[in-house]
Amino acid sequence: MSNKFAAGLIAAALPLTAAAAPESFTVDPYHSFPYFEAVHLGTSVIRGHFEKISGKLVLDTAARSGAIELAVPTATLTTGDNDKGSRPRSRDEHLRSPDFFNVAEFPAMSYKGKATKFNGDAPATVEGELTLLGVSKPVTLTVERWKCGPDPRTQGKRYFCGGNATGAFNRSDFGMKFIVGPVSDEVKLWMSLEAFRD
Amino acid sequence: MQEMLANPAVQGGLAPFVAALVVAALLTPFRLGGLAVVAAFATAVYFIAGFTFSPLTATRKIILLGFAAPLAGIVIDFALRPTRFEAGMLALAGAAAAAWIFWPVLAQMDLERGLLLGGTAVLATAWTIGFSHSRLAEDGVRAGAAGLALGAGTGAAAILGASLTYGLYGFAVAAGSGAFLLVQMIIGRKTHAGATFMLAATVVTMLLAAATMILAQLPWYAVLALAFVPVAASLPLRAGAPIWLQAVLLSFLGLVVAGIACALAWQAGG
Repeated sequence: MSNKFAAGLIAAALPLTAAAAPESFTVDPYHSFPYFEAVHLGTSVIRGHFEKISGKLVLDTAARSGAIELAVPTATLTTGDNDKGSRPRSRDEHLRSPDFFNVAEFPAMSYKGKATKFNGDAPATVEGELTLLGVSKPVTLTVERWKCGPDPRTQGKRYFCGGNATGAFNRSDFGMKFIVGPVSDEVKLWMSLEAFRD
Repeated sequence: MQEMLANPAVQGGLAPFVAALVVAALLTPFRLGGLAVVAAFATAVYFIAGFTFSPLTATRKIILLGFAAPLAGIVIDFALRPTRFEAGMLALAGAAAAAWIFWPVLAQMDLERGLLLGGTAVLATAWTIGFSHSRLAEDGVRAGAAGLALGAGTGAAAILGASLTYGLYGFAVAAGSGAFLLVQMIIGRKTHAGATFMLAATVVTMLLAAATMILAQLPWYAVLALAFVPVAASLPLRAGAPIWLQAVLLSFLGLVVAGIACALAWQAGG
């Protein structure tokens, strides 16, 4: 085999090798938000979200594997009610207290998971552990609208992936037992997630 | 029935009061009527959070100490003679307990805020425990009135400071103290409070107040104001006044000071 032919073979194989390798991504904090919702007094649904998130993704589409690690500063939660008015406290203040998220004692919550099912090249199910109030419990996320490609905002200079993830957990499993009943035990999660390739 | 037991007024008030009244009525002849306050507190814990201690959060440490305090109190009441040295040692133990509970949170704060809140928690807890043990524990009515006002004040201040859970625990202590007082008013004589009652009431209330300050939004000076409730319950009364009148007057004096603490908490949130 001539040297030129061998070099050509290697050059042709390089992109394939690169595509097959696990790729690392950093979460875009400006387009990623974890939302939560709970039923209030058995009627309306109260929604809130955390204003900050950070994390890493590792994706290997060829091997159909992936992993995710997210960290959320709990003090950044908001449900849109942060003015107490004539009440003793606003809902957001109450949610930050030891009755619920206890943000002074537990300033962060985290999620660590692995993609266990794929739909084509896109991760469809992530199985992992949510750590909240110092307790870790399994929470499964269903991934929708997952897409990867060149970022059109940078004329393709950056490569990104994004999608939505949904899941649910019972807050009492994490020790958040305050008025379970009037405020539902089940908390639903909905997360928008975008991440840039490192 | 289930709906009634889920009502916060039942969990932090009625159920603890009934449990405490039964304990006070049954155990007063054995000088253990002071266990009424821990019966009330345990009832509230059962309904509100349950007896789970892992992970050992600040709230769970307070619950553990709330259960340990009357046990230590029984040993002190039956094995030791009340002295000033003993009150000083209990105050030091209270300070150490506050440091143990809150250090992990205080260590994450900036130095100035950590020192202010940590110093307030340690001093207020130590002072309240030490003063109450040396000046009130031997008088069942004064001890009961202090427990009632400390519990009600801590409960109301905690709700103003954004924690209903701590508020209900505080009201449970008030309900237990009220039951302890009621038995004395009915039988018309003072009963033994001792460290069994006084330690449980002061440890739980002051640590809850400190927790609301550090983990929620109670201002530090409201915690200091609460620490003066036992002083109000120690003020002199006309000699020979009937027990019911002593109980009412001393509770009123304590509640006035507790009311000042609550007013400070309300003002801080405004």
